[in-house]
Amino acid sequence: MAKLCIGLFSGSLDKLTAAGVILSGAAADDMDVEVFVLLQGARAFIKGNESKIDNLSEASHLKEEFINALEKLNVPSWYEFFEMSKDMTNVKIYICSLAGKIWGGEKLEHFNDLTDDICGIGEYLTSAEESDIHMFI
Amino acid sequence: MTQEELKILEINKSVDARGTACPGPLLEAKKAIGTISSGDIMEVLSADEGTKRDIPKWANKKGHEYLGTVEDSGFFKIYLKKG
Repeated sequence: MAKLCIGLFSGSLDKLTAAGVILSGAAADDMDVEVFVLLQGARAFIKGNESKIDNLSEASHLKEEFINALEKLNVPSWYEFFEMSKDMTNVKIYICSLAGKIWGGEKLEHFNDLTDDICGIGEYLTSAEESDIHMFI
Repeated sequence: MTQEELKILEINKSVDARGTACPGPLLEAKKAIGTISSGDIMEVLSADEGTKRDIPKWANKKGHEYLGTVEDSGFFKIYLKKG
C-alpha cells in the first residue's frame, strides 16, 4: 500500500481545503497517510479553532467569493474532509510540539479530535524518508 | 463496451453524485463499491468534468474494470465492474 506523508505548514482556509481534498483522494486509494502539522498549521488544530479559520493565503481580497463558491459547490469544510479521510483510511495526524506551543497547545487534550499525537521534527523527516509521496503544503 | 451495450447493462448499484464537485463523486464511488460483490456492476452519475478521467484511473488501479461512460444531458454515467 502506498504511503503519503504531508508536512502541513499552512493554516489558511484555502490551503487546508487543498490538503483535505488531497487527503480524501488518498483515502479513496486506501493509502496510509501521516500528516505532520507544522508552525502555522497548528493554529487550526487547537480545539475550538476549526471553524474560526477564515483567512486565505492567496487572493485574500477575494475571500468572500472563495467561501461562497465553496458553499455553492457543496464542498465539505476542511475539517469534514479530514474527518472523512480518517474514517476511510489510515490517517494519522501529528502536531509538531513547537508549533503547538506557539498557539497555546502543549498537551494532546488541547487539540481537536483529529489529532493523534504530538511529535518532534525527527519523526516527520523519517516518515518523509519512508513514504512513496511527500508533500509540503 | 459500446454505448448501446452500456445503455442496456443491468446495474447492481447506482450512485448519484451529481450534487458534489471533485472529490465527491470519487468518494461516493469508493464508499459504494465496498457494499457490492465482486463481478457486480455499478454506475456513478456525476456532473463534475474531472470525474470522467479520475474514476476510470482509480478503478483500474484498485483492480475494478472500467466499462465505459455514457453522456446524458448535463451529466454522465460511468460504469464499473467490481474486481
